[in-house]
Amino acid sequence: MYVSLELLKNFIELEPEITPEDLAERLTFSGSEVESIIKPAEKLSGVVAARIDSIEKHPTENNLSVVNLNTGTGEYTCVTAAKNIKKGDMIFYARAGSILPNGQELGIKEFGGVQSNGMMLSAAELNLADIDDPTGLLILPSSARPGDDAKNLYHIGDIILDVSITPNRGDLLSLLGMAREIKGLYPKAVLKMPEWLRPVKQDREWSEKFNSISIPDNGCYAYRLGLATNAVMKSSPLTAKIDLVHMGMRPIVNAVDVTNYIMLMLGQPLHAFDLNTLPEREITVRAAHDGETMLTLDGKERLLTQKDMLITSGGQAVAIAGVMGGELTGINDDTKTIVIESASFSPVRVGHTSRRLGINSEAAFRFSRTVDPALSKTALMAASVLMRDWCGAEINYRPMSAENNIAEPEPVKLTRKKLSVYLSFDNMNAAAKILEGFGIKYLSGNNDEMRFMPPTWRPDIKIEEDLIEEIGRFNGYNDAPNKLPGELPRRADIGAEMSCAGFIRNTLISRGYSEIVTYSFLPEDFSEKLLLDKNDIRSNPIMIANPISRDQISMRTTLVYGLLSALKNTLASGWREPVRIFEQGRIFLKPDNDLSAPNSHFEPNHLAGLIFNGTDNRSIWNDRAQDFYDIKSDLSALIKLRGYNPEFKAGHENFTHSGQTAFIIVDGVKVGFVARLKLALEQELNVEGVYIFEIDTEFLKDIKKRPFAPVSQFPASTRDISILVERDKNSEQVIDDIKTSLAEDGNNKILDSIRLFDVYSGKGIPENSRSLAFTITYRSRESTLKDNEVDLIHMALREKLKFKGYTIR
Amino acid sequence: MPDDLINIAGVKEDFKNSLASAKTFNELDEVRVKFTGKKGALTLLLRSLGKLAPEERKETGQKLNLLRDEIEHDLTTAATKIRAAENEKLELDSRIDVTLTPKNDFNGAFHPVMQTMHEIMNIMQGLGYSVALGPEIEEDFYNFECLNIPKWHPARDMQDTFYLPDGKLLRTHTSPVQVHSMLEFGAPLRIICPGKVFRRDNDTTHSPMFNQMEGLLIDRDVSFSVLKGTMAEMLNAFFGRSLKYRFRASYFPFTEPSMELDIECVKCSGHDENCRVCHGTGWLEVAGMGMVHPEVIKAGKIDPEIYNGFAFGIGLDRMAMLKYGINDLRLLFNGDISFLQSGF
Ligand SMILES: [Zn+2]
Repeated sequence: MYVSLELLKNFIELEPEITPEDLAERLTFSGSEVESIIKPAEKLSGVVAARIDSIEKHPTENNLSVVNLNTGTGEYTCVTAAKNIKKGDMIFYARAGSILPNGQELGIKEFGGVQSNGMMLSAAELNLADIDDPTGLLILPSSARPGDDAKNLYHIGDIILDVSITPNRGDLLSLLGMAREIKGLYPKAVLKMPEWLRPVKQDREWSEKFNSISIPDNGCYAYRLGLATNAVMKSSPLTAKIDLVHMGMRPIVNAVDVTNYIMLMLGQPLHAFDLNTLPEREITVRAAHDGETMLTLDGKERLLTQKDMLITSGGQAVAIAGVMGGELTGINDDTKTIVIESASFSPVRVGHTSRRLGINSEAAFRFSRTVDPALSKTALMAASVLMRDWCGAEINYRPMSAENNIAEPEPVKLTRKKLSVYLSFDNMNAAAKILEGFGIKYLSGNNDEMRFMPPTWRPDIKIEEDLIEEIGRFNGYNDAPNKLPGELPRRADIGAEMSCAGFIRNTLISRGYSEIVTYSFLPEDFSEKLLLDKNDIRSNPIMIANPISRDQISMRTTLVYGLLSALKNTLASGWREPVRIFEQGRIFLKPDNDLSAPNSHFEPNHLAGLIFNGTDNRSIWNDRAQDFYDIKSDLSALIKLRGYNPEFKAGHENFTHSGQTAFIIVDGVKVGFVARLKLALEQELNVEGVYIFEIDTEFLKDIKKRPFAPVSQFPASTRDISILVERDKNSEQVIDDIKTSLAEDGNNKILDSIRLFDVYSGKGIPENSRSLAFTITYRSRESTLKDNEVDLIHMALREKLKFKGYTIR
Repeated sequence: MPDDLINIAGVKEDFKNSLASAKTFNELDEVRVKFTGKKGALTLLLRSLGKLAPEERKETGQKLNLLRDEIEHDLTTAATKIRAAENEKLELDSRIDVTLTPKNDFNGAFHPVMQTMHEIMNIMQGLGYSVALGPEIEEDFYNFECLNIPKWHPARDMQDTFYLPDGKLLRTHTSPVQVHSMLEFGAPLRIICPGKVFRRDNDTTHSPMFNQMEGLLIDRDVSFSVLKGTMAEMLNAFFGRSLKYRFRASYFPFTEPSMELDIECVKCSGHDENCRVCHGTGWLEVAGMGMVHPEVIKAGKIDPEIYNGFAFGIGLDRMAMLKYGINDLRLLFNGDISFLQSGF
């Protein structure tokens, strides 16, 4: 809301020492944030009104004229190309040395041998392009006096506050409302009434026949029509046009300007019809029928429902009530008879319609934030007065009205107890004074409890807390004492989910990973990019009905896409070093991939990580290239720290390396994968050696506690064994076979550990085979094992393994 | 007893001299053999003890024992010294450039927003708050309706919303957890809810996804003063110093009265008219808050006649940007680690 301080003076008289800056701060702290103080003419200087004494043709230039000007204190010569002037016209003149609002300083220029002192101004040069034809000079009313400073004329020097009005304060969307608010904030200020708001006599019967108004829809609280006849459509008075521009509206034609002006001044949206374009001389305000359509004045066909309200005439829709008028019944250049509509509509109904249709017109904006229902009568009369003043219309006709029940404000109580609990303030008399300042009337009560009646323009005041807020925002919140809450209701707990998240980030960050956060969205083509199968649950994300872009069209079903984008962005920024990143966050899945399942979904927490050696992987540590086993060690350590024993089994993902992918199994359940990225995807990124993992972290929330098993006090014996296996036999399988072999002989009790310490293939080893060397530690809980005892057990193991088909080396 | 037979002093002097010239283990061994070997000087002396008269034997025996102890001790000491000298040489020969980069030189880095989230969670836990989490895909009912924002309400314009085909939405704030928590735990209650929120907004100062932390306290006779004290405590702990702050009246449909909190500009403290962080105002808006609206308490199935409380919402991204001096919101979510590795 743009608040013209010049126009505000029509409604309130403030103490003179209050500067615009003071006012802005007071408003800001009391809930209406002043975004900026606009001074459109701050730089303007030296521009005055001047009379054109003569116009002569330029001696050599055909399209120029030489104008002699009189400013009352001197005569000046100016060269101009403007054609819209004649002798005796008053214009704005900026002689050499003057400064325009945009900061430009004028000088003396020569045009074909004629010296031109400064220039005569068009509206555009005053930053007021909207008020006049920009090709001609701005002609001033003949009442202008030569020499008067432009800054003091027609509100050009006005100061405007750009105030952000919160949705609960529809009443502040007008100067009248702002004046009332400021009166509340400055108790010494005096409210006033502008000249055009004084009642006039309107008691004649309509000169034009008009049948009736009926309002069967009670979402219309009141509907009033005023009549203005013999109006002449033309430009509005200069000051009014400048006022409109300063308050953010474009002047159009006087009759329309009147409705906008009254809306800005009083907050009542108005509509002007040309009586002769109404289909019939009758108005009905009714609910629309489902499927009914209407052409609004922005040229769009609107599909309506029965929640919308229509203004109809002769059964034909002429406006969507409170939202937007129709194309056919507006004011045109030949309009002579104006019907002014001033109505009161339900904010709920207008709010619904305007939100559904996406129309945020000035009227809808105000009606959905509530317009004082008591205002429609006053505003109609004021509009009539301005139709008389600006359009020369006759306005002595009695307005026609129809009313439904209008909800009256209800009393609200204020107790000293609640006031003092909330605000640590309990002066009830002072509170009552503050409320009175805001127009909230004291009804009755005592020092412990009082009743107040909010005014019709403050429907936001319904409960005691609303009154407390008025007192709070008047007094300000900064002087309240600082306190802390007392006794704890229960033990403060970070909770398993966040504790686990904290554990994961601490662990991975100390293992050299950078923590990243990427958008929870996926692009349209992510499943093709990740080579996912159509029937993979991850290929069917939850879609966003109203996405901003194709790049963010659905909710993520995997963190891999984000990791790869992060790698891409990292490389794009010129990073050449090794990369280790991880992300934790929710993914979003439909239940059992059922696309039609309503009203339920899963949001499991996932963790994903990625390592990459960097595009420049030269290192003084030649053997330190990261590979599958590096990322596996990080993930494995992370899981083990929570007490779980992860198993890694060869697995498959469409987007990972066919020979370097493992599923991670914990307690028999697959929790995720760790793998090298598929070569095709690496090639697309133009990199080599990207390793990733993704797991569902739900199981990590609980730390698995293992029963305490004391360490054996007896010494251990170790024996090595070297086994030849075919290439695809993996080490876990061999270890399993060692374990079962020992168990078959009942020797598993003294098996302490099996550790693979060498993997060899090449010289001396048959093709497609590997030699795996293990060291086996034997230890008894009951006694010291004798060497020959261990030898026997170990020999038996070798035989067992041979029997199982292994070649022992 | 003639001295030439048992010349203890002579042997001792001879030993000391020999020992002094032994510089290697071999030379030291020669000394050992020369004195304590089978034919060593000390051995011979000990053997000749038997030839002495019994009255002399005891006294001389004691002296010889002392000499033997001294020789053994000196030999051990000398051996230690020689070992130390040899080791020293070995160590110097295997010296390295200690300034080379470490192996596995990966610098882990936290994400500033996540760090902020965890720091504030810890601060708030210290003030007695528990963490409550809610779904990121929410129902209109929890995100709006029960927060006193019906469908027609213009306050919905304050939060442009992403909808899903089934009518659910991406939560636009962490406030829905207020009602979830009241329904789950009842009163009294002290919770915080950190997490991602989404708004249909994308420009240099708005990201379609950002992070918030909701706080809620429900108890008997809760005063604005407690909210004020809590915010001051939290901000001071987070920024590690006492900041100036101020409250402005504001409006949220789910609190009454409502306010916004500004803190002193962490960059210029209001001393720089051209400050890019505060645009010269000296103040930064960091949180919205207020006393919980009785309708919201009712929606949480708690009696507003008995209990009241306050709620606040802080922008975690903004807090992180302020604390770590980050000036571009878009850096936060693109995963570029050169940003994270730049150090905060
Ligand atoms: Zn600053």
